[in-house]
Amino acid sequence: MTSQQALLVLLPFIAAFGLTRRRRFTAVIGMGMFSLTLSAVYLLLNAPDVAITEAAIGAALVTFIYVLAIRKTGRLVIVGDEAPGLLEREGDRITGLEQEILAGFAHHLGLDLVVHFLPREEVEEALLRGEADIAAGGIVHVDAEDRLLKTQGHLPTGLFHLTREDAVEPKQTQETEWIYFSDVLEAIRAQEKGAYTLDLARFIAVSRLDLSGYAVERLPGSFSYTFLLPPDREELHKRLSAYLDHLRQNGELDGMIRRYFS
Amino acid sequence: MRRSSRGIIITASVLVICFCALLVMMFDYHGAREEAGVTYITKGTIDTGAANLVSAIYLNYRLFDTLFELLVFSVAVLGVRFYLAQQRGNEEEVTRIPESQVIRTSADLLFPPILLLGIYLVLFGHLSPGGGFSGGTVAGTGLLLCAVALGADVVGRRFHEPTLERFEWEILLAILLLALIPVLFGRLPFTDLLPRGRLGSLASGGSILIYNALIGVKVFIGTWVIIHYFVRHRGEI
Repeated sequence: MTSQQALLVLLPFIAAFGLTRRRRFTAVIGMGMFSLTLSAVYLLLNAPDVAITEAAIGAALVTFIYVLAIRKTGRLVIVGDEAPGLLEREGDRITGLEQEILAGFAHHLGLDLVVHFLPREEVEEALLRGEADIAAGGIVHVDAEDRLLKTQGHLPTGLFHLTREDAVEPKQTQETEWIYFSDVLEAIRAQEKGAYTLDLARFIAVSRLDLSGYAVERLPGSFSYTFLLPPDREELHKRLSAYLDHLRQNGELDGMIRRYFS
Repeated sequence: MRRSSRGIIITASVLVICFCALLVMMFDYHGAREEAGVTYITKGTIDTGAANLVSAIYLNYRLFDTLFELLVFSVAVLGVRFYLAQQRGNEEEVTRIPESQVIRTSADLLFPPILLLGIYLVLFGHLSPGGGFSGGTVAGTGLLLCAVALGADVVGRRFHEPTLERFEWEILLAILLLALIPVLFGRLPFTDLLPRGRLGSLASGGSILIYNALIGVKVFIGTWVIIHYFVRHRGEI
């Protein structure tokens, strides 16, 4: 078999590879591979002019334009602060219950999951500015802004209020009032003065520290964790809700919860 | 929804059947005028002075056809500009996705060689594979790489986009006038008046080099305009 025949046989396989990919980026790369192989076929058929044009337009320019388009639309951008067990950094990886749910959802849509960590107070602004698709990371139903779309809670939780007034002043006052959960953790470890309202997942992480100096109060009422979406993303909200219902019905959600919180 | 998807399926099936029928017929077709091909191969280089027979055909024998190909490209660019200009662009500044150092450095590193390759393909189109269309696209892709690294608007300002857009049409006009010049000398339009030159040297092939250069610049600008209009009206690059 000549190399030309080998390439011709390869072409339908590459085409099938590109067409059957769920992830858009892989599909585009498959299409670029197809063009490059086709350009090699042209070259072997003694048509170098056509081969150059095919390589320049099919393999380079069109692939490039698709990649640019996908960068804008091919990913599901998550914003949120770290929440132990829900959305947390473990070295280079991001783990947690909400990460697992959203990764499954992104895979279901054929998108890439991207997580940006932001302080809790800035999350809603990021959604309203259109910088992100979904907010996660231990967001409790009640303190979410009304303008945003919420999903039905996926995990019950509680709210805890921590205060300490007699202790040392914070060492350096921070310029911004927005703080990450990791800053709160540091502040409590240093036994600094302050008042925080924490959800159950974060409270569990904090309770491993010495809390003897803090007044701890559990807020009455029932709360649950939720995801937030920008007000104009009704379609995405519908699909995420349907996906969560699906997880609930076949028991996968319970399995995940047991794996992370048991 | 269902009706329209059925229509699409029917249309697609008809297209596929037509295409297959065309393929079958092509196997039966043995070239009605083989002598034309033989003439091109035996006399092409002598007639035109271009070592690359493909360029000799599409920029000398078939310059008339190429002119329409160029018009198709121009209309495509015009269409993109016309329809996208009707849509409201992103007026407000979109927060740019921070570009990684890898992309910015490789864009700086790769842009000059890519541009050089494009220019080479244009200038040597009559001697070796290449030509205005492919060379222009290669250079345009290089510019696209820059746009990814620096942002499309920055690159657009740096290259004085309004001037470029006007220049594109002036080039089309220049090509038309160039094709009509022979009329002044009492010859048919699209006749090549320039000397053939020594086969294989840069200054050979009559006016093919001039046409290639003009087409190359035009395609370069056109590629950039299309990309930039897409970016401006469909979101940040």
